[in-house]
Amino acid sequence: MDASFKIVPHPKVLCNYFSLAGNIDAQAETQLMALPAKVNQQLVKFDFGNAGRINSMGIALLLRCFKRIKEEKRAEIQVLQVNATNTMLFKMTGIFLLAAAAKD
Amino acid sequence: MQQNKTILALFADNADAEAMSSCFFHVPEVISVIADRFLKVTLGEIASARIDPGLAVISSALYPGKRPQLVEELRGYFPGLEILVLAPASMPPHSLERFMLDQVRHLIIENRQEKAATGDGDQPLSVAIGNLILKRQWHLGQYVKGGTEIQEFQLSFSEEKEQIIKALEDSIVGDSMEYEMLRQKGALLADEMLENAFYGAPKSDDGMKIFRKGERRQILPDEGIVFRFAFDGETLAMEIKDGWGSLGADMVLEYLAKNSADMGAADDAGGRGLFIIWRFLDHFHVCVNPGKETLIGGHLKKSSQIPPETIHGFHITTTG
Repeated sequence: MDASFKIVPHPKVLCNYFSLAGNIDAQAETQLMALPAKVNQQLVKFDFGNAGRINSMGIALLLRCFKRIKEEKRAEIQVLQVNATNTMLFKMTGIFLLAAAAKD
Repeated sequence: MQQNKTILALFADNADAEAMSSCFFHVPEVISVIADRFLKVTLGEIASARIDPGLAVISSALYPGKRPQLVEELRGYFPGLEILVLAPASMPPHSLERFMLDQVRHLIIENRQEKAATGDGDQPLSVAIGNLILKRQWHLGQYVKGGTEIQEFQLSFSEEKEQIIKALEDSIVGDSMEYEMLRQKGALLADEMLENAFYGAPKSDDGMKIFRKGERRQILPDEGIVFRFAFDGETLAMEIKDGWGSLGADMVLEYLAKNSADMGAADDAGGRGLFIIWRFLDHFHVCVNPGKETLIGGHLKKSSQIPPETIHGFHITTTG
């Protein structure tokens, strides 16, 4: 898997859909901080199917990004295809307080 | 009063003592006490007999829930007493707030089913008692089978992180989901330990971080960042040492306690990384020589049954 982080938007009806690929760490800051401005729907889905390792800095960036989406855009957030390790990480760090785990 | 190697073991009642009895089977010089209404009398008699225990092992059935003031009471009789709380994996403590207030720096979560299945002699409590009584440091060789190869990396550049993580992943050979989970957890643990050493540990005299997270950097000659790991087929043990010694024992406990209680804080002052390391390891140790060295390590079993959402064991020690 290519470890470098990228956000790939997918056109969908009635929701914003973003695939997050690669490791999510300090290198993801610029892209994640710019993402809330791209939200223009009431439902935002994040696909972690191609995401690699997420470290504590990555978690901090995701928390900030999700909080801004909820506060500024009043949108609902869903996360998809989160592997078992990242699911544990999301549970213990409060990500699931901001985003619901959903199936495709 | 002469301090000796006597251990005080405190239980909530006879049933609690019976449930914990197998943990103390190989431990000599244990005074077992039921913390009933005669506790103060019993402790007074022990002190009057000129016995000054080096260590108290307290059942979690007693502290902090049932008798939150217990540590304070014990230290009234034995000021230099080291405290270790022992809890079954089926019922870990709910919070570390009382631990933080009382500066209780040792907690073992005992997985009795696993212990019964493996019959291992070197259980966490035996290792802990040996280390605390004899003032030895925890090291990763204590967690893996004798003769297991220990891989060691002296860091020169922050970019070495990925190759180290790959070496760790490659050492965990196996196709099952258990092996895959262990590789993922091991990779994340190594990432957090290395990031903490590169960016969290280096602080100026006024306590400010010197390097920004994620920036590429060369490791300074005196930093002495060394990462080690070993995998014996069942247990993955890891540790990292840095030459900063900037992590205070009380700060560690505060990070663990506050992150357990308050999820979702966006700011990461280093506490979340340490919290993740603690929760992904089955057992975690930190040893700090203030201003000189910090060692962070622990172990994780392939078949670990301790969920990351619950409180895990730890040992926080200082030297120097």
